[in-house]
Amino acid sequence: MRLTLDAYATLQSPLHRWWPRAKLVGLGLLMLGFASVQQVQLVPICLLVTAVLYLLSGLPLSFLRSRLRYPGFFLLGMVIALPLFSGGTILWQWGPFAIRQEGLLAMGLITGRFLSIVTIGMLLLGTTPLLILIDTLVSLKLPPLIAEMALLAYRYLFDIADQLAHLRQAMRLRGFHPKGDRQSWQQLAAVTGTLLVRSYERSERVYKAMRLRGYGYGHSWTNQIQGWGQATDVAAVGLCVTITLVLISLQIWQIVPGP
Amino acid sequence: MHIPDGFVPPQLCIAGYGISGFVTWQCLRRINRHSDPSAQMPKAAMLAAAFFVASSIQIPLPPASLHLIFSGLLGAVLGYYAFLAILIGLFFQALFLGHGGFSTLGLNAIIIGVPALVGHAIFQLKRWLPRSPALRYGISGFLAGAVGMTLAVTFFISLLIFTVPTGFDVATERAALLTLGIAHGPLIIVEGIFTALIVTFLQRTKPELLTGLVQPTNAHSQTVQPSGEQLCD
Repeated sequence: MRLTLDAYATLQSPLHRWWPRAKLVGLGLLMLGFASVQQVQLVPICLLVTAVLYLLSGLPLSFLRSRLRYPGFFLLGMVIALPLFSGGTILWQWGPFAIRQEGLLAMGLITGRFLSIVTIGMLLLGTTPLLILIDTLVSLKLPPLIAEMALLAYRYLFDIADQLAHLRQAMRLRGFHPKGDRQSWQQLAAVTGTLLVRSYERSERVYKAMRLRGYGYGHSWTNQIQGWGQATDVAAVGLCVTITLVLISLQIWQIVPGP
Repeated sequence: MHIPDGFVPPQLCIAGYGISGFVTWQCLRRINRHSDPSAQMPKAAMLAAAFFVASSIQIPLPPASLHLIFSGLLGAVLGYYAFLAILIGLFFQALFLGHGGFSTLGLNAIIIGVPALVGHAIFQLKRWLPRSPALRYGISGFLAGAVGMTLAVTFFISLLIFTVPTGFDVATERAALLTLGIAHGPLIIVEGIFTALIVTFLQRTKPELLTGLVQPTNAHSQTVQPSGEQLCD
């Protein structure tokens, strides 16, 4: 299991240069604004804003494609039934199957919101190294214990995944083929248990090594992300706030007519 | 059993973050009260990573195979750290796999994290169960896993009911939700059995893993005697 994340975090683009704290708040608010969209007519605005930001980021399309593949299938499985069963206005019928307008609009709304929010999330993570992102979260009052846990878990995630791969390979070499019987389940439970035991034993060694390096003695998280950056960084946050407020206002005052 | 981005209204997302924030705060309070967080943090972090990886193991259940969520097992092993570990695990899942979402992180943490805390409480029933360790740990493990999964399924389906569009055919909606509930039935049993199997394995090989991480400790008085290997770690 190789989970590369920071591959494009060192590119040079306006989004990469955006001060992390301002970027997290700005894009977070934008996600909230997109999530608040309940009218399908507003979806093109969300998609347009997202597309402009993605172009500005300089991230390749393959990055987004690879990230959208799995959740895309999952979402498709969840919304595919909407045009068939939701609403009363039939647009097209073939035998017992009918495509309904309301369901189709609901599918468009959910898919549009999903694409916009996931892409904005990927923009945030693709343009900010994970360490900086966690540091930024701590600067926004994330408890340091959670941040330390996240960093350590991230550090050992790949090692543990490799360990599991070795365990699986060893089982295969010994002729193990998982079936639905009791013995297979017991062996898989033993593999999972072994993974936990090895991780636990390793964590004890890691803790002792950390203690020797001074961890736990007057330890405090030294935060490098302070302030909100330059005027342009704050202005970008202001732009995100404006877009979010416009989206919410358009719905509150029903400026956009319904379908 | 993850809610993706864009699927639920923002009010639910905000409520999810609010409730999971409150639960996190409560867990941190308990952790700080009963143990030395700096001593247990590496264990909790490594086990969180191990659970994240272990959740990729496919369990064969002919004609299909399934992934478990391990919420009951997480509760049994990590105690109050389980909720934090799940929060981090979900963050990584959204980050690396696109599974779940960032706007729905709070909701997903409730769906899987609260059952883990309930699983932790249920696992403590082992004190009142028969003397035979295998039976004691087996029963409490099964209950923690099965009840944890039942709760997670209940939360998930309840949220789906909230988010079904108003124009959706009522009979179809009922049938779909009923099918979803019934389909998760075997998963509840498998989760319970698998949790019991792992718990009895841990009880035989590393029983201290099952005492929970949040225990009264005096970590600062611990003497550290590192070996050469530890120094190089």
